Amino acid sequence: MTLEEIRDLIKTVCESGIAELEVQRGDNRVWIKRVGGTLTQEIVVPASPAPATPPPAPFAQISVPATNLSAADAAAATEEPDLTDPTLKAVTAPIVGTFYEAPAPGAETFVKVGDAIRPGKVLCIIESMKLMNEIEAEIAGTVVKRLVENGQPVEYGETLYLVKPD
Amino acid sequence: MMRKVLIANRGEIALRVICACKDLGLRTVAVYSEADRYSLHVRFADEAVCIGPAKSALSYLNIPAVISAAEITNVDTIHPGYGFLSENADFAEVCQTSGIRFVGPRPDVIRLMGLKERAREEMKRHGVPILPGSEGILTHAAAAQEVAAHIGYPIILKASAGGGGRGMRVVRDAAELAGQFTQAQNEAEAAFGCGDLYCEKYIERSRHIEFQALGDEHGEVEILGERECSVQRRHQKLIEEAPSPVMTAKLRKRTSGALKKALEAIGYTNAGTVEFIMDDEGELFFIEVNARIQVEHPVTEAVTGVDLVKAQLRIAMGHKLRDILGGPVEMRGHAIECRINAEHPETFTPCPGRIKALNLPGGVGIRVDTAAYVDGVIPPYYDSLVAKLVAHGCDRAEAIARMQRALDLFIVEGVHSSIPLHQRILADPEFQAAQIDTQYVQRFFERAKAAETIVAGA
Repeated sequence: MTLEEIRDLIKTVCESGIAELEVQRGDNRVWIKRVGGTLTQEIVVPASPAPATPPPAPFAQISVPATNLSAADAAAATEEPDLTDPTLKAVTAPIVGTFYEAPAPGAETFVKVGDAIRPGKVLCIIESMKLMNEIEAEIAGTVVKRLVENGQPVEYGETLYLVKPD
Repeated sequence: MMRKVLIANRGEIALRVICACKDLGLRTVAVYSEADRYSLHVRFADEAVCIGPAKSALSYLNIPAVISAAEITNVDTIHPGYGFLSENADFAEVCQTSGIRFVGPRPDVIRLMGLKERAREEMKRHGVPILPGSEGILTHAAAAQEVAAHIGYPIILKASAGGGGRGMRVVRDAAELAGQFTQAQNEAEAAFGCGDLYCEKYIERSRHIEFQALGDEHGEVEILGERECSVQRRHQKLIEEAPSPVMTAKLRKRTSGALKKALEAIGYTNAGTVEFIMDDEGELFFIEVNARIQVEHPVTEAVTGVDLVKAQLRIAMGHKLRDILGGPVEMRGHAIECRINAEHPETFTPCPGRIKALNLPGGVGIRVDTAAYVDGVIPPYYDSLVAKLVAHGCDRAEAIARMQRALDLFIVEGVHSSIPLHQRILADPEFQAAQIDTQYVQRFFERAKAAETIVAGA
């Protein structure tokens, strides 16, 4: 199901005034519910979106923000690059830990906004249990935005960078 | 100083620990998998960290992820709850080396209790009765044969690293011993990575009775009475109660005294449960120690008035048991717990899904521990526990009446639940007469089936 289709569904719910809508298309299930004028939605997909995830099972819940980007990103959306661009790919944290954008304090950052990256390129370090884990790019493209601050704790699945794929 | 506690668990027990932390003025950090993003423990903790995908091996059982979450949130203490990492000695050790307090026994004590056959020897050494059986590990079937010839059939083969019925085999005669031995060994090897077996005399009709222990870090252990958990199906407990309807004051006193001595000698700290089986002559025999808080701890809380999870945290702070308990512990009245699971009440198949309607019962004598809410999801990745319903009364009859009333007021829609089964068991004359043992549920279903056949035939 594409973002565009989900947007349409939300629009449909808003305009029609119905309270709840559940749509299943193949493995994707979208459930949109109106709670006192606001919308909550949940997308249920079999759990196999990222590498190293377990075999598919029926009720995995992955929350997908309605407009592609989280609230923090939306605030930044006034900046130059078009962050609502649906072709942008998120680079997410594969482990819990502390995010570092450079190999050492004061050293040059691994990547900057505007840099071209290729699979295997080190993007950052996540420190977990005193170990420095280099996080490598899996796709080729251009870094459009960094979403976390140097030294910030990150949780599993948190978006670190937005990349415009080649 | 304890300021901030990370709860390395999910569901009702994570919420239970958060409650105890709130009561003590401690800050809390929840960890969760992607499947639990909308869980109540995430919502009610002061902070929450996603530690991995739905599969527990990659999240709740992922030691580096849990420790990392503890480090980025600066907690000084980790409470493991039950299941997951709660009896993992390696995890307790990593906590220790990372400078984080682990709410539980010391790593070496957890390790000792995990080796069932070693724990058995240790208990025997300190005067706790054990079943006749092998001394040490059985290296081959012939050794088991020798023990069996001495103690008589039937015997039960058990995995030293075991639990949950895996690597366990009842052997009724010498002819089937060799085959069963190999099977049990393979099963234990596959499940626990260790094929070590020991054996015990098998008791056909037995009751499951367990004692609640608390030990402080100053060498004192207290026993807070017993629970009876005989109503179970395939080693899964359905109903627990405290006290056991067949326990005598004399036997309780004798067993508690022996356990206090044994656990103090072992250096046991924090909460633990010592499991026994009772044969039909009313004798107790040690089975194993569970080095954690149990699912069914609320029935002991109801009859003793002791908040066990709060006691765990206070013990970890270094408080003395004397101050925590504030005098001798007495049991008041009778408490029963029903585990309300999201499963089919007859086939027992788990039934994950979204809860569409929920009415939690209340009223005098009722407690519900749950993390369920309307629109909340029972995911398929973890256990199927929806809620623990606990009834407390001045005696067993009052507790049963209150439980029946509460079950009638308990509504769960959207998923199947075990409520109808609990209603039927609570109404069963055999249960009401406390004629229960670990075969009770099986008999109950056979009786029900026979009654149906008669009706159909008439």
